[in-house]
Amino acid sequence: MKIGVFIPELLRHLFKKPATVDYPFQKLEVPRDFRGSPYLRPELCIVCRACERDCPAEAIEITATNEAEKRFRMVIHNDRCIHCAQCVDSCPTDAMQMDTKFEISDYDRHNLKMEWEYVRAVVKPKSEPKTS
Amino acid sequence: MKFQIPIGPQHPALKEPISLRMTVEGEIIRDADLRLGYNHRGLEKLAEQKTWIQNIYLTERICGICSHSHTTCYVQGVEKLMEIEPPKRGQYIRYLVSELERIHSHLLWLGVAGHEAGFDSFFMYTWRDREIVMDILEIISGNRVHYGINTIGGVRRDLDEQQVKHILDSLAILRQRSEYYQHLGTNEPSFVARLAGVGYLSREDAIALCAVGPTVRASGVPMDVRKDDPYGIYDEVPFEVCTAETCDVLGRTVVRIKELFQCYNIIEYLLKNLPTGPVAVRAPRRAKPNEVVSRYEAPRGENIHYIKSNGTDKPERLKVRAPTLGNYAATIKMLKNGFIADVPLIFAAIDPCICCAERAVALVDARSGQEKIISMNALKQLSRQVAAGNARKREAEWPL
Ligand code: SF4
Ligand code: SF4
Repeated sequence: MKIGVFIPELLRHLFKKPATVDYPFQKLEVPRDFRGSPYLRPELCIVCRACERDCPAEAIEITATNEAEKRFRMVIHNDRCIHCAQCVDSCPTDAMQMDTKFEISDYDRHNLKMEWEYVRAVVKPKSEPKTS
Repeated sequence: MKFQIPIGPQHPALKEPISLRMTVEGEIIRDADLRLGYNHRGLEKLAEQKTWIQNIYLTERICGICSHSHTTCYVQGVEKLMEIEPPKRGQYIRYLVSELERIHSHLLWLGVAGHEAGFDSFFMYTWRDREIVMDILEIISGNRVHYGINTIGGVRRDLDEQQVKHILDSLAILRQRSEYYQHLGTNEPSFVARLAGVGYLSREDAIALCAVGPTVRASGVPMDVRKDDPYGIYDEVPFEVCTAETCDVLGRTVVRIKELFQCYNIIEYLLKNLPTGPVAVRAPRRAKPNEVVSRYEAPRGENIHYIKSNGTDKPERLKVRAPTLGNYAATIKMLKNGFIADVPLIFAAIDPCICCAERAVALVDARSGQEKIISMNALKQLSRQVAAGNARKREAEWPL
């Protein structure tokens, strides 16, 4: 047993680069599969409502604005979203996607809401939704 | 003269808000009493209103550190209810993440133990090294804390060659660092002396009080669900159950360091033998009426989920027994006849999070009813003074 075995390690660290990055000026890359916020590509959405049904946070809301014209409105309440990407997994047509933004805080939760109004797309699902 | 000291319900020394009343005589704790029920989140009831899929993300949020433990325990049970078996590759990835989580939890704990013992540089270095494993988890799953990798019937993300290589490379660094910490333990007498003999829990008591995880293993009982009741792939993976004989906080440290090395071995085995094929099978939306008990060895100990289905797409009942609950009875035993100054260390040793905030402890004079508020900083200061004033337990040996 010796006294002060940690000292060489401590001294070594005086000459090392810091382990952290200078955040607001320098940002780390997010990984390829990072789960940011979900967004919709309305041209692909067939309004199957799988995302709405599987979302654990009830963050997705789909309403029909005009039944005859097949117009729908989707609202993603990003203030409720828990960034789990289950909606991406549930979507049969890849209409639901995740972005890679992580600086999404806001002073007002209502600003986090995202909205799309679109006509239902006629796309053939690539495969059945995995969970239906 | 006896005092009563209440700690909690809101106190950083306790993982969940629980209330602890200690009767002290001078510096020595003579009796301790634990009251639960302050952290009722209605989570089990909420689970009954959500579908099987949605509940994965709910169980993930039971705990931040063991998030994967709870989802795995839950999906294992649900898969049994739905009578589906995830493909081999999916299982390998699932338990790979489990072991990575164990590494990050144990490194975090080591840092906390160092911090409570007054060895803050150790805390800084272990937490810096923990970033390596957090980065691996982020690369595999897409996020650092709630990995969301599990789904019913397998996992959601596959691994590619590049990721496998990255994990193996990072693991080599981690292994080297862990060896250094082990070496440090052998050679740093003050750290060992602070931990030795604190929070004694005999082998008989550990068994009688149903302690779980590293707490029971540090009392010389080789109890590990992965060995005793192998789930998933643990019957094919070679590993050893780590124990220690010292029955104190030092033993709990040793068990965790030994387990780190076991984790590295398991991960290497899993990556070298990763089968090919799909990572998930399609799961039905409903489960036939049945019930199941799912067991899982979380970093802190045995985690149990009881799930009952009634034929719909929602569970009828989900009951969660987290490992910390299993350790409460043993904690009371450990506190008895210990010093007030050791409370932070003993609580840290069962692995609740103590370093997150600075709050106050109220010292109540039982006779006059007078309260004295001391801050967490002052309590830690006291802890360090006692440790410094003690004749060094020179004979205390690092058992690794
Ligand atoms: S990421 Fe999860 S919580 Fe957010 S909208 Fe999609 S399913 Fe809902
Ligand atoms: S799951 Fe996809 S296709 Fe179906 S409603 Fe949602 S976004 Fe549209």
